[in-house]
Amino acid sequence: MLRVTINGRPREMPEGATILDALRAHGADVPTLCHDERLHPSGACRLCVVAVKGWNRHATACNTPLLDGMEIETHSPAVEDARRTLLRLQAADYPAAAVVQAPDKPFHHWLRHYGIQAGDGAGKHFTDTTHPYLHVDMAQCITCSRCIRICDEVQGQFAWRAWGRGDATRILPNRGDSLLESDCVSCGACADTCPTGAIEDRSVLEHGRPDAWTRTVCPYCGTGCEMLVGTRDDRIVQVKPVADAPVSKGHLCVKGRYAFGFTHSPDRVREPMIREGSEWRTVTWEEANRFVATRLQETLDAHGPQSVGMLGSARGTNEENYVAQKFARVVLGTNNVDCCARVCHAPTAAAMRRMLGTGAATNSFDDIEHAAAFLICGCNPTEGHPIVGARIKQAVLRGARLVVIDPRATELTLHADVHLALRPGTNLPLLNALAHVILDESLADETALRERVSGGEEFREFIRAWTPERAAEICGVKADDIRAAARIYATSAPAMAFHGLGMTEQVQGTEGVMALVNLALLTGNFGKPGSGVNPLRGQNNVQGSAHMGCEPGHLTGYVPIEQGRDVFAAAWDTPLPKVRGLNLMEMIDAAGRRELKALWAIGYDVAFTNPDMLRTHDALSSVRLVIVQDLFFNELAREFGHVFLPAASPFEKDGTFMNSERRIQRVRRVVAAPGQARADWEIVCGVAREMGFGAAFAFHSVEEIWNEIRSVWKAGAGISYARLEHGGLQWPCPDESHPGTAILHAESFAGSKTAPLQCVDFQESTEATSPDYPLLLTTGRTLYQFNAGTMTMRTPNRELRRTDMLDISPADAARLGLGEGESVRVFSRHGVVEMPLHIDPRVKAGELFATFHARETGLNRLTGKGRDKQVMTPEYKVVAVRVERKGGDCG
Amino acid sequence: MQARNRYEPGPEVDSFYHLRGCDLAGRACQGTACFVARNSLGEAQPCEDPRVYCLGRCFESPATGLSELRPHIEVHSREAVVLKRMVEGGARSLDDYWRGGGYHALEAARAAPPEAVLDAVEKSGLRGRGGAGFPTGRKWRAAVAQKSAPKYVVANADEGDAGAFSDRFLMEDDPHALIEGMAIAAHAIGAARGWIYLRHEYPSARLSLEQALAEVRAAGILGRGFDIEIFVGQGSYICGEESALLLSIEGRRPEVMARPPYLTERGIFGQPTVANNVETFATVPWIIEHGGDAYHALGFSKSRGTKLVSLNSLFVRPGLYEVEFGIPVRRIVEEIGGGLRAGALKGVIIGGPLAGIIPPGLLDTPFGFEELAAIGASAGHGGVIAFDEHTSIVALVRHVFSFGAYESCGKCTPCRLGTRLIEEIFAKADDGEWREIVSALKWTSLCGHGMGLAAFAESVMQYYGEEVASCFA
Repeated sequence: MLRVTINGRPREMPEGATILDALRAHGADVPTLCHDERLHPSGACRLCVVAVKGWNRHATACNTPLLDGMEIETHSPAVEDARRTLLRLQAADYPAAAVVQAPDKPFHHWLRHYGIQAGDGAGKHFTDTTHPYLHVDMAQCITCSRCIRICDEVQGQFAWRAWGRGDATRILPNRGDSLLESDCVSCGACADTCPTGAIEDRSVLEHGRPDAWTRTVCPYCGTGCEMLVGTRDDRIVQVKPVADAPVSKGHLCVKGRYAFGFTHSPDRVREPMIREGSEWRTVTWEEANRFVATRLQETLDAHGPQSVGMLGSARGTNEENYVAQKFARVVLGTNNVDCCARVCHAPTAAAMRRMLGTGAATNSFDDIEHAAAFLICGCNPTEGHPIVGARIKQAVLRGARLVVIDPRATELTLHADVHLALRPGTNLPLLNALAHVILDESLADETALRERVSGGEEFREFIRAWTPERAAEICGVKADDIRAAARIYATSAPAMAFHGLGMTEQVQGTEGVMALVNLALLTGNFGKPGSGVNPLRGQNNVQGSAHMGCEPGHLTGYVPIEQGRDVFAAAWDTPLPKVRGLNLMEMIDAAGRRELKALWAIGYDVAFTNPDMLRTHDALSSVRLVIVQDLFFNELAREFGHVFLPAASPFEKDGTFMNSERRIQRVRRVVAAPGQARADWEIVCGVAREMGFGAAFAFHSVEEIWNEIRSVWKAGAGISYARLEHGGLQWPCPDESHPGTAILHAESFAGSKTAPLQCVDFQESTEATSPDYPLLLTTGRTLYQFNAGTMTMRTPNRELRRTDMLDISPADAARLGLGEGESVRVFSRHGVVEMPLHIDPRVKAGELFATFHARETGLNRLTGKGRDKQVMTPEYKVVAVRVERKGGDCG
Repeated sequence: MQARNRYEPGPEVDSFYHLRGCDLAGRACQGTACFVARNSLGEAQPCEDPRVYCLGRCFESPATGLSELRPHIEVHSREAVVLKRMVEGGARSLDDYWRGGGYHALEAARAAPPEAVLDAVEKSGLRGRGGAGFPTGRKWRAAVAQKSAPKYVVANADEGDAGAFSDRFLMEDDPHALIEGMAIAAHAIGAARGWIYLRHEYPSARLSLEQALAEVRAAGILGRGFDIEIFVGQGSYICGEESALLLSIEGRRPEVMARPPYLTERGIFGQPTVANNVETFATVPWIIEHGGDAYHALGFSKSRGTKLVSLNSLFVRPGLYEVEFGIPVRRIVEEIGGGLRAGALKGVIIGGPLAGIIPPGLLDTPFGFEELAAIGASAGHGGVIAFDEHTSIVALVRHVFSFGAYESCGKCTPCRLGTRLIEEIFAKADDGEWREIVSALKWTSLCGHGMGLAAFAESVMQYYGEEVASCFA
C-alpha cells in the first residue's frame, strides 16, 4: 500500500497506481484532455499537472506512477496558473463557435471552467466531409493524439497519423485525402475519444445531440458488444461504446456503432398484412391472429403436426426463441423447429458436445489477452467479428504468435507467423496433419493425454498415415508450413483456437470441428486461460436461439429431447411430440416433396439465404401457408408469403441475448416500435392465445418468460434479471450465488473426466472442379454488410460497400481477360448470377470469393446441394463455377 | 513475447525530419555559435530552410557547409583520459589504435565477469556526458537487473547541442574508443546488438566509423555475440533525447515519451537498452584499464573525472580541451580559451542553448554538474559559447526560441505552442505573456527541451532583465 498526501489529507492507494488513479479514487480529480482510460497514458496535454512537494517541476497525474510518501497539491495557485496558460495556448487559434455548439466536449468544458476565450480558428485545416458517418474539421484539433492512439492501440488500424513536427504537426489520414481513401475501417473510435469534436459523428451534427441514453447489446454479430444508444425525439441519433462492457471494453465496430438506421427505415412494415391474390391487405392484429390460428389449425387437422415447420430467429431474444419453440412443441405438437444455427455452427455444437460434453465456446474473449498463440481456422474476425478481431490483432502485435488457416489472405494473415492457404474443402487433411506433427515430434501434452483424454492409442495409430506431405498434396500448402504451424500451436502455451464458418459450412463440417478439438486435446489447450476451442458465432443471438430449443433434436439448454422429455412435459403440463423433428434443410426437402404445408419464419429470410436458391424457391412455392414475421418485406414474404406479422427491432424490445462465449446480456428497449409492430414474443403469444393455449403463453413481460426458462434450464438457473442489471453472466451458472463460468472443462468435461480423440478421415467434396466449372468459389461476409443485408443495406453502410463483388486473383482475371469492375456471369452446376468483378491479390489463382449480401446478386443461386453429413449444414464454402464476361464468352 | 512492428512507417514519419536527403554543401550553419559569430562580425543571419543547426564547426564559426579542418586540441587535466590519442593526431585505423594499447580494456573486460566491469564503472563515479549527468554504473546496473532479453546498447551520437563538437572529432579521429566502450558495455549488460545513432550533419564521422567497424569485424573483435550498426539520423535535434532516439531507430515517429518505463526497462523494440553519449563510452576503456578509483581521483565533488569542452570561435584559442571537473569556469574562459579575440564578454552559454547563460559576474563558479545547476546553468555536453556585446539579448532569445520551436517534437502543449509564441514576442519586441509561458515551460514540459528553454529564459530574466525591459519599452 502506498501512503500519500493529497491536498493535505493522508490517503492510501495500492501499488502500481498512477497519481491520476489516486486523485480519482479520492475525489480530487484534475482536468485531462489527452487522457482516455482505454489508452496508454501519453502525457501530452499537460493539463493534469499537479504539484508534488520537493519536485522541481509539476508531475502529470495521468502517467506519473504514485510513489510512497508523495505530497500532492492538485489546485495550488501555481498549478492552476499553469493550466490556464496551457489552455490559453490551445485556445488561441481555436474556433470559439465550436465551444458554443458542443458545450459538453471536455475541451470546451475546461475553457469555460477557466474562463478562457477561444479565437477564430482561422487558417487552413484538414476537413473531410466525404465519409458517411464521420465528420472531420481539424480547425478543432488540439493535437492530443487520442485519435491516433485509439486507432493504434484499440482498433489496430493505424489510419490516423501525425505529420510534420512541432507546431506544424498535423493529424491526417495515413493515406489519401480522406478517411475513405485511408486504412480507416469506420469504427468511429476516434470520434468517440476526440475531446473537441474535431472528429465527430455526422448523425449528431445532422439530428442533434441525444437527450437520453439506454444501455443495450449490439444487434449484429455474436461478439456481444454492449452499447449506449442515444435518442432524441424517440429516434436513435448516436451510439457509443460502453466503457466497462466485458467484451467490447469501450469499443465498437462500424456496424454496431453506426448501422442503426434500419430501425427508422421508411420501409419498415407497420401493420399486419394478409395476401389476397397478388395484393396485400393491411389488417388488425385480431384479424391477423385469427387468420394465422385458423390456417394453422386447418393444416394441423388436415395434414398433422409433421406438416408444419417453425423457424426461430437469431435476431430475436432468448425469451422469444424460447416462446417460439414452446409454441411449436406445445401448440403445434411438432419438433419441426429450427433456426439459422443450422446453416452456421450446428456442426460446432454437435462436434463439441460429442467430444467435450458442451456444444459451445470453451473459453471467453478475455482469454485473448492470456493466449501466447492463436489458431484461426476458417474465420475472418477483423471483418466478421471486428471487436474480437481487434483484440486478437492487438495481442499479436504485442507478440502472441498467429497461425491462420484460410484459403484467402485476410487482414490477420498480414500479421501471421504461418498462413496455411489451403484449397477450399480440405480442412480435414490439414488438421489431421497438424495432429500428426504434434505426435510425431512429441509436442503433445502427455499429462493432459494421460489424465484427461481417451482414445490416444487408437488415434496415434490412425494419425500416422496423415503425414504433412500427404496433407500438403491435398491442401495445396507446403508440408514445412504445416510443421511450423503445428509447432507454434503446440509449443506456445497456452494457445487459443477460434473458428468460423470456413470450418462448418462444409460436407465435413462436424468432422472438421472434431479434428480441431483433437488438436486442443492433444496439446492440453483446454480448461485454462488463453486456450480452448472457440466458435465465433455469426449473429447476436444465434447461440441463444438454438440453445433455447429452436432445434429439432434439443430442448431449452441444448438438452436432447429424450433426456428432457419428462422435465419439460411436467413444466409445460403437456406431453412432448414424439416424432423426430425436421431441421431447416429437411423442412425445405419436405416442402420439395409437397409434404410441408405451413412454415412460420421469424426474422429469417430463408428464400434469400438458403443455398441452391432455385430448388429452395421451387420447394417454398408449394407451401400453402407461409407466415412471415419480420421488420421488412423480405424475399420470403414477397415471393411466398401469405401473412406478414410486423416485428419490433432489437432496439424496440426488452430481453436477453447470448453471445459466442455463453454470456447472457440484457437487451433494453430504446425506442418505440413503429406503427403496430410488436416484439416477436408478443406476436407468438397472441397466436397461441387465439389457438386456445392462453394459459401456457400468459406472459406479461420478458422477465416472466426468462424465469420460466431458468426453471427448466439448470445451467441458467442462477441468471436472474436482477443480476443482469450489473453486467452479463456466462453459463453454467446454476444458482444465484454462482459467479458464472468463464472457462469450461477445467476439472472435467460435462459428464466425464476424459474427452475422446476422434479418428476422422477425409472425404472429398462432390463440388469438384471440372473443365466446365474450373474455379472454386467460397462465400463469406464483409465488414460493412451483414448476412442478408436486411439491416446494413438500409444504412449508409451501403456507401461503404454498395453490393456484392466477385473477388478474383489477378492471374485468373488476366487469363480470362477480365477487368476490374467488369460485370460478369458466374455459372455453377446449380444456377447463374451476374455480379461485378474485383481483382484481389488476396485470392489465389483457381479460387474466387464473393459475399452474399445483395438482393440484386442473389448469390445463393450458385450454392449447391452439399451438406454436412451429420447435421446438414449447407456447403456454402465450396462451389465449382466458371466465370464469363457478361454477353461474352470466356472460360 | 517480443512485440511486432505495429505498422509500416510511411511518409508521415519521414515528414518529421527536415534534412532527409539534404546535401549540406553550401548550407549556412544557423547554430548558436555561428549566430553569435556573425553578430560579432556584423554579418547578416541566414534564413534558409531547411535550417542547419550546428555542423560541429563552432571553433571556426561562422560556418557554411562541411569542412575537414581540425580544431586545436589540448589536455588540461592531470590524466589524458579521452584525448590522449587525439592530441597525437588521432587513431583512425585499428593498427594505430592497437599501437596505443587499444582494445586491451575490452580484452580484460571480456576475460572477467560482467560484475567486474559494473563495479569499476560504478566506482569511477562516471556520469553521462551527454548532459543529463546520470550515473553510468547505475544505468548499466538497471539494465542488468532486467530479466528480458535480448538487451541493446546505443551510442547517442546525435551531438545536436550547438557549440559542442567533441563527439564529432572523437568519432572522426578516434572511432575505436567509442566502439571499444560500447563493446565493454555490451559485455557488462549482456547485450547482443548495438547502434550508433549518428546525426545527419556528420557524414565524415560515418565514414570513419564504418571503416573502423569493418576493421574490428575483420579482426574478430565484433561480430561474434555482439555487433554494432550505424543509424544515421535525418535531421531532428529532438532525436538526441533518448526516447525519441529509440523511436527513430525503430522507424516510428520520434516524439518524446514520458518515463517510466525507462530505456533500461523497455528500450529499443521494447527491450532493455543502455543509451550513453559518445564521450561516455569513450571514457570507459580508460576506466577499465586504470580502475574506477583512478578515475574517481580526478574531478571533484559529485562530478568526477574529466570532461571535454568545445570552445567557440570568439575565443582567442578556440578548440577542444579536456579539463577536470572542478576548475572554475573563469579558467576555461580566460586561461584555456584566452578570453575573447575582440570585444567585451557579455555571457557564456555552456552545454548548448537549452541552458542558462552564465553572466561574466559568475565566472568563478566551479565547472561541475550541481555547481552550474545552482546558478541556473548546466555542464551540458561541454559546448562553451562565449558571446560579446554585438549580440543583443532580445535577438539571442529570439534565436534560441526560434531554434526551440523549430526543433520541438510538438507532443506537449507548452513546447509545441509556447516556444513559437515566445519567438514571436521577441521578434516583435512586444511584451506579451512570455513570463507565464516560460513558467508553463519550466513546470509542465514533457522533456528537457522545454525545460531547458525555460532555464535559458529564466537566466535572461535574472541576469539581462534590464536589457530586455529597455527593448520592450
